[in-house]
Amino acid sequence: MSYMTLLRGGVAGLALLAAASVAQAEVTVLGWPGGPEETALRAVTDIYNAKPDLAAENKVDLLFTSRDGFFDKLQVDLAAGSTAFDVNLIATYSIGKYAPFMEPITLSDEAGRVFGDTVLKTMQFDGQQYGVPTDLSLHFLYFRKDLTDALMADDAAKAKYAEISEKYLGKKMEPKAPEDWMWEDFVANALYFTQSINPDSPTRYGTVIQAKNLLFNMMVFHSWPRSYGANWTDDAGNITVDSEAFRTALKMAKMLFELGATPPDSTSYEYAEANAAYSSGQVAAMVQWNAAAADLTKAQAATVSTAPPAGPDGKFTHIHGLGLGLNKAAKNKEGATAFLTWLSTEEAALAYARAGGAPGLAGETVAKLAAERPDLVQVGDYASNHGFVMNGATSQNALSVYEAQAKEFTGYWAGTQDLDTAMKNIAASMTELLK
Amino acid sequence: MIKPRRLENAILAGPLVLFLLAVLGFPVILSLIYGFSDTSFQTLSAPRFSGLENFRDVTTDADFWQAAGFSLRFGLLTAALECVFGLALAVYLAPLIQRHGWIVAVLIVPMIVAPAMMGLMYRLVLHEFAGPLPYYLYHWLGWSPSFLGPRNVFATVVAAETLQWTPFAFLLFLTAYQSIPQDMREAASVDGTRPWRLFWKIELPMMMPTVFVAMFIRFIDGFRVFDNVYTLVGAGPGGSTTSMSIYIYETFLRKGEIGKAMAAAILLFVSAFVLLSLAQRMLNRADR
Repeated sequence: MSYMTLLRGGVAGLALLAAASVAQAEVTVLGWPGGPEETALRAVTDIYNAKPDLAAENKVDLLFTSRDGFFDKLQVDLAAGSTAFDVNLIATYSIGKYAPFMEPITLSDEAGRVFGDTVLKTMQFDGQQYGVPTDLSLHFLYFRKDLTDALMADDAAKAKYAEISEKYLGKKMEPKAPEDWMWEDFVANALYFTQSINPDSPTRYGTVIQAKNLLFNMMVFHSWPRSYGANWTDDAGNITVDSEAFRTALKMAKMLFELGATPPDSTSYEYAEANAAYSSGQVAAMVQWNAAAADLTKAQAATVSTAPPAGPDGKFTHIHGLGLGLNKAAKNKEGATAFLTWLSTEEAALAYARAGGAPGLAGETVAKLAAERPDLVQVGDYASNHGFVMNGATSQNALSVYEAQAKEFTGYWAGTQDLDTAMKNIAASMTELLK
Repeated sequence: MIKPRRLENAILAGPLVLFLLAVLGFPVILSLIYGFSDTSFQTLSAPRFSGLENFRDVTTDADFWQAAGFSLRFGLLTAALECVFGLALAVYLAPLIQRHGWIVAVLIVPMIVAPAMMGLMYRLVLHEFAGPLPYYLYHWLGWSPSFLGPRNVFATVVAAETLQWTPFAFLLFLTAYQSIPQDMREAASVDGTRPWRLFWKIELPMMMPTVFVAMFIRFIDGFRVFDNVYTLVGAGPGGSTTSMSIYIYETFLRKGEIGKAMAAAILLFVSAFVLLSLAQRMLNRADR
């Protein structure tokens, strides 16, 4: 075989490959890699691609990278006008950042009924819909029912609980069922179940607060100050972070760090480390993402989840959604829009949930899943009744605000700065970021 | 005769120079442009010239100086520890290594592991509930320090870096130690010089250029640390473990202040370049 023959063969092969890839010019979707989100997206994509009336050029192809630095890489891709994907993942806290590189979309007529307004708002920016909500994240209070039941049934334990709460919180308190907890009860319970305070405690720590300098940890913390009335800004856009509500919650959490009611190195914990602490059986209760429910219950069978504790303003849980939106530089906008519209129908939402996803669904739709996915009923209930998004939390610099809070608040908890300094710094940062 | 040789050199070096200009020159020029521009992700392709504004923002940013302070302490401490341990290991193990060369291969294993992996490994090993070290300390002593808690986190990241890179210093020192002429040691021995005096007065002075080089390389490496610290503890509570590289990364990608991040990178490059030039000059003077 001569070199020319080889060359000709190679060129022909390359041409074939190119032709094949043009023929398969599909809708490319950049999804959230790994975990139930990927499994669910694959399942609904298969259903969509199997539709008999779907043109070959509008079939959906999935693209996954790695979770590490996902949003940083996405930011660079979008800013560079990448055409490698038509549809990409977005999250509530990053919509404002990515909106300049994306296009608003129109959802199906049934989307409002399927998801409800609270959940649809998690994908809106400047009054426009930028994504189809696929997964909803919020927080549960996880607690060991065996421990709280034993505490409430034992008079000597109750007396000890009252003694500890009087010493550290200034008033004698009685143990309550976690469903009725105020944040003070959460703190009292954490102190009671900490061995350095109560040597008879069956657990080493009463709680675990994931306090690594990481933006996601601020989301977990926000449910606490919000129940005291905290917000990032008032309706006029003035920064209100330096408030009694934020200060109260920060000081209560700081007390738990100082008294050793949360592991001393929890200032380096994020999701996985906090879950490992709870799963070890050495922690009595914690506030954590709803996604941890299966793992925590599997590790500690007596685990029960409920809404986070209440403050004077009621019970609150931070909510944010993951969703899929349209890349402004998409090559196949028509096909991408058709897929996104279908994804916002009840058919797609139910299939997504059945495949393991965690969409926030409204009453009528979630009722159809009650037997298969009772956790989604709880998620829907809490999102509707206790869910909140801070003012400004979908703005262009929302992620930077979370970052700045993480730095200042964890610094206060770790003792590298006092509360007044942390408040002064964060108010200045937020004024700059949200101006 | 000289001119043709020069032409020959230029022809031979040309492709390499062109390659380096293409691969390194473009990002350097782009960094310089961004460093003197008001640039965000929205204006990547149309940066607006802003003079020295980014440099003013960086040098008046308390976080920048905090990061510089961390990098300086971290770089100096880890370089010193690595050199002390590396030197001790090289001198102590040299006779053994002369007979069993494979020991070197075992000792340099930590260097082969990617720093980011090393950070992740320690994150697991030191976790109070999942890590074997705290587990056995609790098991045997009923107590364990919180390795990654606010009080100990600096010591922990220093220890992790030192454990990984001491083998590098060890290799340099071993080579230098083995290259000292044996007859000098024998002569000193004949004169009745004790081992400690032999080391202090003969061997160490002869190894000083290597000590200096090792110290410097390790300092530069420690000063610009990123991977293992970032994967182990991130930026740290209150930014307490934010190195210069972490500061630049977070300013660039998390805050989207590209011009400011590039200005910080340029300052880091310039300071490293000045230090390296000074070191080179001192080394040349010592050689003379």
